[in-house]
Amino acid sequence: MSRIGLVLARSAVVAAFLAAWEVLPRIGAVNARLLPPLSTTAAMLVDILGRPATTGDLLTTIGEILVAFALAVPVGAAIGMLVAENDYAGRVLKPLFFFVLSIPKSIFLPLMILALGIGFWQKVAFGIFSTIFILIMGATAAVESVRADHLLVARACGAGRLQTVARVYVPSMLPVLLETLRIAMIFNFTGVILAEMYASRTGIGHLIANWGEDFMMPQLYASVLLVALLAIACNETIRWLETRLSAWRA
Amino acid sequence: MASVTALRERGSVEVQDVSHVYAGPGGEVPALAGISLAVAPGRFVVVVGPSGCGKSSLLMMMAGLRRPMAGTVLCDGRPILDPDPDRVGVVFQDASLFPWLTAADNVEFPLAIRRLPREERRRRAAEMLRLVGLEGFDGRYPHELSGGMKQRVSIARGLVQDPPVLLMDEPFAALDEQTRMTMGQELLRIWSQTKKTVVFVTHSLTEAVYLADEVLVMSPRPGRIIDRIEVALARPRTYEMMASDAFGRLRDRIWRQIRSAA
Repeated sequence: MSRIGLVLARSAVVAAFLAAWEVLPRIGAVNARLLPPLSTTAAMLVDILGRPATTGDLLTTIGEILVAFALAVPVGAAIGMLVAENDYAGRVLKPLFFFVLSIPKSIFLPLMILALGIGFWQKVAFGIFSTIFILIMGATAAVESVRADHLLVARACGAGRLQTVARVYVPSMLPVLLETLRIAMIFNFTGVILAEMYASRTGIGHLIANWGEDFMMPQLYASVLLVALLAIACNETIRWLETRLSAWRA
Repeated sequence: MASVTALRERGSVEVQDVSHVYAGPGGEVPALAGISLAVAPGRFVVVVGPSGCGKSSLLMMMAGLRRPMAGTVLCDGRPILDPDPDRVGVVFQDASLFPWLTAADNVEFPLAIRRLPREERRRRAAEMLRLVGLEGFDGRYPHELSGGMKQRVSIARGLVQDPPVLLMDEPFAALDEQTRMTMGQELLRIWSQTKKTVVFVTHSLTEAVYLADEVLVMSPRPGRIIDRIEVALARPRTYEMMASDAFGRLRDRIWRQIRSAA
């Protein structure tokens, strides 16, 4: 199938979904109080984005997400590479990281509130906690994706330590690292929003939880739409980088 | 064997009483036991032996990629302790090209490590790609090349720094038989054009006889050299020679040596 055909088909699915969203509540097929039409939701989205209070909450959330990511990525990557490069540390720690990775992080939320309160840094801490084990495992996998024969070629060419890192390690690891970043960002995003919904005075997650409890459906749907678009934009940016930087792949 | 002074020439390789032991899970495993050999400049020497006899290890030691526990490896009469791409080029079993680099960039890689100016790198890479019959494939990525073409790029990379010695570790083992035949002929053409000293490791007896001036036969672990066979077949070698009695006798002799040592 052609690329254009695929894009058209995909657009048709989205258009059908949006049309159903608009039409079904209007003809009474679904309760309009439970699902306000798309146009009402879109108008509300424009409205709440015009309110300084809402944009403030949005910026708080974005701030928490970015700070959490900026702290989690270097720390997680460093731990991951250490684990991958040090055979002993790897054998001791790797199974443990796998155990922790499998635990749903949300069960630690009450604990973190007791320890850190419900402010900005608690959200950041929970974002980091939700993300860091994925980063560790991803960085480990990235190092392990470096092929021994490639390192041998570099050595045979007389490459020094720095040259080997720059010319073999980095390009070998890049695809796995970017993939890891993308998935880590999804978990980071989820963690921060969840923490806000659970207990907070600020943030878009806090608004979503409140609007839901107060049955303010247009506001609720508008904020859901907003967060969804934000998350997709984030994800696609990293994916775009991935394809750009790995043009050499089949 | 050539005289000692002859071996001091550029392109000579000399292995003196090399032994090696590996630390395995069940204790120490003797890998190489007292290997000595000498290769005169410009000769094509093939090392054959059963799997695990240490022939690849021996080659890695000649490349300076591994240090023997005892003994010395000399190239141009000077010891090889670390990789020295000016003296020794290496071609690995699976081509080992970097998938994120084009064919030309792969060939340039050793020059880039040496920080040569870009223009000279381009020129020499293009020259090498022409030598191995890949003119016009500069911009292709490895995944766009066949197995034989990848190995050609790998040979070009091994030769790009113009080292007097080329070491080849089972370079055609992963290729199908037809490609393998073609690559053998191509390698002999490149060798006769460049006049390199070649040490070539394989477990194919036919390949050994077809390519070599001299075949060294190794025993199973711990690897020792159990036979040296001069291959007096005329050059250039042809496909028809493989059916000749002389070819068959040489191959039989190698086979008998390997079997008797097993």
